[in-house]
Amino acid sequence: MIPKSFDYLRPSTLQEAVQMLDRYEESKVLAGGQSLIALMKLRLAAPKYIVDITRIPGLSYVKEERGKLVIGALTTHDTVENSPLIRQKCPILSEAASRIGDQQIRNRGTIAGTLCHADPSADVPTAFLALDGEVVALSPSGERVIKASEFFVDFFTTALNPNEVVREVRVPVFSPRTGSAYIKHARREGDFAIAAVAAIVTLDAKGVCKSASIALGSAGPTPLRAVEVEKALVGKKLTDDVIVAASELADRGISPPSDIHGSAEYRAEMAKVFTKRALRLAVSRIGG
Amino acid sequence: MAEAILSKEIPVPRKWVGTPIKTKEAPRLITGRGRFVDDIKIPNMLYAAFLRSPYAHAKIKRIDTSKAEKLPGVVAVVTQEDVLKWCKPYPQIVPPPADKLLDYPIAVDKVRFAGEPVAAVAATERAIAEDACELIEVEYEPLPPVLDAEEALKPDAPLVHEEVGTNLAWHEVFDYGDVDKAFAEADKVISLKLHHHRYGGAPTETHAVVADYDKGTGVLTIYCNNQMPMFCMALIGLSFNFPTDKIRIITPDIGGGFGSKILSYTYMMLISILALKAGRPVKWMEDRREYLAAGTHCNEATFYVEAAVKKDGTILGIKAKTLHDVGAYLRYEPVGALLWIQVSSGPYRFKNLRMDVNALVTNKGPVAPIRGYGRIQHLWMLERTVEQVARQLSLDPIEVKLKNYVRPEEMPYVAPSGATYDSGDYPTALKKALQMINYEAWRKKQKELWKQGRYIGIGAALFQDSGTNNFAQVRLIYKNNPFSGNSRMAEMWMDEFGRIIVAVGSNPHGQNHETVVSQVVADVFGVTPDDVFVVPGFDSWVHGWTGHAGTYASQFAVSGIGAVFGAAKKLREKIATIAAHMLKAKPEELVFKDGKVWVKGTDRSVAFWQVANLAYRNNLELPEGVEPGLRVVYAWKGPFKLPDMKKKTLNATLTYSYQAHACVVEVDPETGKVKILDYAVVDDCGVPINPGIVEGQVHGSAMNGIAAALYEEYVYSKDTGQLLSSTFMDYLFPTTLEIPDIKVDHMISPSPFTELGTKGVGEGSLVPLGSIAGAIEDALSPLGVVITDSHNPPERIYRMIKAAKK
Amino acid sequence: MVEKRKIKLTVNGVEMEGEAEPRTLLVHFIRDTLGLTGTHIGCDTGHCGCCTIIMNGVSVKSCMVLAYQAEGANILTIEGLAKEGKLHPIQEAFWENHGLQCGYCTPGQIMSTYFLLSRKPKPTEEEIRRGLEGNYCRCTGYINIIKSVKAAAEKMAKGGS
Repeated sequence: MIPKSFDYLRPSTLQEAVQMLDRYEESKVLAGGQSLIALMKLRLAAPKYIVDITRIPGLSYVKEERGKLVIGALTTHDTVENSPLIRQKCPILSEAASRIGDQQIRNRGTIAGTLCHADPSADVPTAFLALDGEVVALSPSGERVIKASEFFVDFFTTALNPNEVVREVRVPVFSPRTGSAYIKHARREGDFAIAAVAAIVTLDAKGVCKSASIALGSAGPTPLRAVEVEKALVGKKLTDDVIVAASELADRGISPPSDIHGSAEYRAEMAKVFTKRALRLAVSRIGG
Repeated sequence: MAEAILSKEIPVPRKWVGTPIKTKEAPRLITGRGRFVDDIKIPNMLYAAFLRSPYAHAKIKRIDTSKAEKLPGVVAVVTQEDVLKWCKPYPQIVPPPADKLLDYPIAVDKVRFAGEPVAAVAATERAIAEDACELIEVEYEPLPPVLDAEEALKPDAPLVHEEVGTNLAWHEVFDYGDVDKAFAEADKVISLKLHHHRYGGAPTETHAVVADYDKGTGVLTIYCNNQMPMFCMALIGLSFNFPTDKIRIITPDIGGGFGSKILSYTYMMLISILALKAGRPVKWMEDRREYLAAGTHCNEATFYVEAAVKKDGTILGIKAKTLHDVGAYLRYEPVGALLWIQVSSGPYRFKNLRMDVNALVTNKGPVAPIRGYGRIQHLWMLERTVEQVARQLSLDPIEVKLKNYVRPEEMPYVAPSGATYDSGDYPTALKKALQMINYEAWRKKQKELWKQGRYIGIGAALFQDSGTNNFAQVRLIYKNNPFSGNSRMAEMWMDEFGRIIVAVGSNPHGQNHETVVSQVVADVFGVTPDDVFVVPGFDSWVHGWTGHAGTYASQFAVSGIGAVFGAAKKLREKIATIAAHMLKAKPEELVFKDGKVWVKGTDRSVAFWQVANLAYRNNLELPEGVEPGLRVVYAWKGPFKLPDMKKKTLNATLTYSYQAHACVVEVDPETGKVKILDYAVVDDCGVPINPGIVEGQVHGSAMNGIAAALYEEYVYSKDTGQLLSSTFMDYLFPTTLEIPDIKVDHMISPSPFTELGTKGVGEGSLVPLGSIAGAIEDALSPLGVVITDSHNPPERIYRMIKAAKK
Repeated sequence: MVEKRKIKLTVNGVEMEGEAEPRTLLVHFIRDTLGLTGTHIGCDTGHCGCCTIIMNGVSVKSCMVLAYQAEGANILTIEGLAKEGKLHPIQEAFWENHGLQCGYCTPGQIMSTYFLLSRKPKPTEEEIRRGLEGNYCRCTGYINIIKSVKAAAEKMAKGGS
């Protein structure tokens, strides 16, 4: 129940934080701690150094900048869920955040934290992938932008180097005639997904689908884009027949895990079912 | 309508009994002032942690604790070496050969389930104790595990206990009526294979023990949250090499039990051994992971059932072979494999029953008397069987149940096993529950909904909650078991200022005994519950106890209240004798009201304190033959008989509360997920002492049942025997978003067998296992799906739908 | 050599101080070091919510926070709700509506309710269920807890708190 011993470091700037990550081997960033502390209590993770970035000021914000929503790394899930700006301009992110755990967890957990933890069954990483979002990563040598499509590398593994920390998360502002939905199939409402789908569709002036972005959670070692589904939607009017046919392709190229809540075969079937449901919901939400 | 009186012997009107007053326990609990075991702090106290087996089955070749012992802060380490010095193996209640089963509080020579304790460390901090456990080196030689009752029966199965020579720990056949004749006369025989899964109590507070050995007096005080520690003294006393007269057991506030906090006597002993070795008090608080692996599960059972029936749905007889998977040690088993005898035919009136009962040990966690112990599995099996009888005869399951229920005019009803149902109206209860969920309306809509592709179903079930058991039932396991009857002790006194104090030998953990006791006592003495102080918790040096003491098996309202009522009558009698003397009246002429004793119909009275003055300080004024003091002890003895060993019959329980549940569910055909659309319960627990408390327990039991039916299951890896549902991430305790609103209505069928007409309540018997299985089957009836498992997660339903649609 | 140092935080309006090491969980610090045992522990993985307190105005599971992370914070525990012997309306509501049985999860339920009502003084049933999703209860089946929260909201609307 109690973690192994570690040294606790509290940087006052992000620059200091990455220098600590660089200097100390087996160091890990601590933000909200809702994932990391659980692992440490079970002694499944035992970093030697904890770099607590929660006191660094100026890392919790939601702003609109040049057609994107920029969100500070330490913005909590609760803030993301309830932010009027996100609800209005990038609702799928708010919807995904609202499905995480429970109120107490959402009060502490942060957007950067969940992305960096990179659990393919988690809610925000899947939505983030569908959004083609970006993170701004800081290291002792500078900053770089990492696209969502390159960010998730494997189970619980991102493209970040050990001495990098995420400073900011960026997601696009929805264009007009866009509808989205994040839904998940889980045993209990707040559980990690057995199958999850983040769907974003945009229509042109004639009502034809001009872009479709579907990401699947719990379908492989990382969130995955359902590329075949997307191809089957773009250029078509999104009638129910089109949606149903496209959803049948959701299990292409996925390798879902098997566990006591769902076998791989079941998850693959559920990927199709929930792609269909997510698309129906997303289409129904398309405004004028 | 006649005014309800408390009892024939004390014909006062019931003023407090039957009233839903606020509880006395709440004030300390809502302010965080409850005192739970982990809140106890003793100077010099150490903290314990356990090293547990990662293997389901392995020989222990070597244990090296030297590195652990050297860690700064570690004071003592206990392994099998210490345990063998301090303990004899626990006695078993089975006949040979399983009576040779070796059971110690720690693994000795072998580990038999993943999570079994192998070593214990006491250190100045819990964190250090955990670090030390990681430094203990254990060399294991893994053995193939046996993880299934049917596998365990096979002649070439690995043996969990070599010293027994078989995994079949108990086998017995019970034959009631004329089963062969019933089957010969049947129009049809229905066969089913059923599986009742493993789940648990999962109280929010896990096990905890503080052991404090006083070197001066030689007294060992054990603080624990065991639900029946004085029952456990039988096992502790026969196993622990420590003088029993110097063991003091204290239970403070307990955070729920649900039957899982009965078998912690192993920990009570282990932590005591640690404390004795360390020479300092030791505290242990169980992790949730430890609880889920080792903190006890419910009986897992496989049934092969056959039912002999007439075309019109009348059930003539039932045969069932049951295989109970009881885990690696027997502990309280095979009682769980036996307790179907408390109901035998359930709420049904068929007379012919043959039970071929088998208890198998496996390399899984040990089972305990989890809520509804032994009855739930059986009652669930009967409901599934009756519903399949209906479906295979193309009859309505509800009609078949109503047809076969014991009729209210047949009460008290003697069931095939000798179980005597005291009172109840099962058909009315079921019909009422169905009304509450608008059964007729749903039935009318159902066909249309099926056409729309919506699978909505209705299920209803009635389970009995047999309470206040006769411990002689264990003689049907082995005739030599020196147990019988039931009892409860209460001590009551009035202090010299006229205040009433009660101490009852029970270990409440959410049942609010302080409240219900004060209600009964208030009515006897004509005071308010606030005038009665019930000593909180349990202390074996303060609260009277017998070997049956504890809070378990739905009985406090009968046994505990029986003891309280008996003590109250005794005390009242003594006060009346003294008051009569003071008032120069006859005791029959006296009335107790508002803290005084009055001569009926006059204004002459004496206050309690005036009576007490004579008894405590002024005894030369006492009437002839009356002892000083106002303190009585009363032991309630259950009106039971010994079993008929030839016929294997016994009235094993005194009272039969029951609940009828009805629900409407929708099954999502694409995912297999079940949603509860409506849920109603009709509860009958005889005379409720506090209807508010009863209703709360009805809610909790329903939630427990819904949890078991749809969410909670202990899942083991089929290869390694590891527990896969090892934390709350995977053992799916439902939240506010999973449990629907539950409508409750009540009926009152007083028990003719108890003084106040009360019946034991509290377990509630997890009826949703029956109602939800029935509702799912009903929803999917167009597909012909048959529900044969007590646990129905989405994927299982999904696969059944898929197979049916082929 | 394990680093242990004193940390200061405000608990129930009073500045308190105690020794902790990096791996000390806030819940243990509150219970064992500060002696406030009303906050309970029910699991290992941050699910059950028995350890819920208010930290800097929001409900958190104190078993999922390091004590060091709470240095300088403003903490409210169950012990801080009743003022001078007068129960908080939420506590009264739980008592009157039988929203507890064994009482072990109750401090956590009450603190989550406190946070919920601070944000949503008139919550719908759905909002109540969502607000208390992270607080397990085995005894009540949640039904009387939800009833208690509704009653608390009504009390607070009338009398304010």
